[in-house]
Amino acid sequence: MVQLTLPKNSTVRKGKTWPKPQGATNLRQFRIYRYNPEEGGNPRWDTYWVDMDKAGTMILDVLLYIKNNIDPTLAFRRSCREGVCGSCAMNIAGRNTIACTKGFDDLPKGVITISPLPSQPVVRDLIPDLTNFYAQHAYVQPYLKTDTPAPEKEWKQSEADREELNGLYECILCASCSTSCPSYWWNGDKYLGPAALLQAYRWLIDSRDEATGERLDDLEDPFKLYRCHTIMNCAQVCPKGLNPAKAIAKIKHMMVERVS
Amino acid sequence: MSGSSGADARPLSPHLQVWRPHVTMAASITHRITGVALYFGTFLIAGWIIALATGADCYGAIEGILFSWVGSVILYLWAVAVLFHLVNGIRHLLWDGPNIGFDPGKASAVSVFNYAFAILGAAAIWFAAAGL
Repeated sequence: MVQLTLPKNSTVRKGKTWPKPQGATNLRQFRIYRYNPEEGGNPRWDTYWVDMDKAGTMILDVLLYIKNNIDPTLAFRRSCREGVCGSCAMNIAGRNTIACTKGFDDLPKGVITISPLPSQPVVRDLIPDLTNFYAQHAYVQPYLKTDTPAPEKEWKQSEADREELNGLYECILCASCSTSCPSYWWNGDKYLGPAALLQAYRWLIDSRDEATGERLDDLEDPFKLYRCHTIMNCAQVCPKGLNPAKAIAKIKHMMVERVS
Repeated sequence: MSGSSGADARPLSPHLQVWRPHVTMAASITHRITGVALYFGTFLIAGWIIALATGADCYGAIEGILFSWVGSVILYLWAVAVLFHLVNGIRHLLWDGPNIGFDPGKASAVSVFNYAFAILGAAAIWFAAAGL
């Protein structure tokens, strides 16, 4: 259901302002979402001042700078630090992206706000609970399904058929797109969301897959697919430059084509 | 939303509260708002036509309302809503038919064009009507 405001336990209160680093000349202000389940209470906005001459170049560097030099209790996920694992996805300056490939240069001026991926239950600080997101990914059965016996060597595909998968297989499951989508904010329990649908299309269009009909059946209801209203936030934010909105439109097309 | 234990006590992360909207997102909600506005606006236009068919006194009364300051603003906004819903509706047809117009940069540019088309187009209609 559409709920424009946050529930009572989720409104973000004013938090602590951490001291400025000594002797820094190039300071920048960050406002970061904090929630500690052990303390309970509402989440809060903490303010940090970061010495940009020492913090590296990416937002992930800023978070590590804060953790190492100012506040070791700040919690966030990260792993590869080069845009292939998708762990450090978060909302930075009002847009979802992965912190490790987001440079300061791309950010708007003024205070930078960093919060967890939107409209998800928060485990702690910048860490959302993505159980539902992963369950939706599992729902679309993202693997090859065939009836014919497996060939001796491999399932072959023409170059042209392989090209169909470009712009689809690169998804790193960071959840930036799904949690950017207002439709997903309001109906995330029933609408599969851009990431799962991009993945669904990746298998629908695969020339080797033989379960196209069943896959389409699995998406045929008022919510799972059709809650996409082409708001385009998904394509606007994808840190890998993929276009879930287009993939969803193509699934809708396949739905129409199979009945006509 | 999540089925894992303790999820009910967990706060929901901010969404609209932190989001910095794209023009495509604005165009989407505007499309919906103008759709609703057209539903109610149609009653207004229907009333106008019915009044015209009923007779001079009745038409005079409704004309007094429609061409008052407030009525004029509503009529202008209705014209904006018609044009925006029309041009953005064509965009929806291009999205869902030939599946074109999905490039984020181009989609943003088209959104800006749609707003300009609606606002300036309604103004053009206004001045054309005033010249009659």
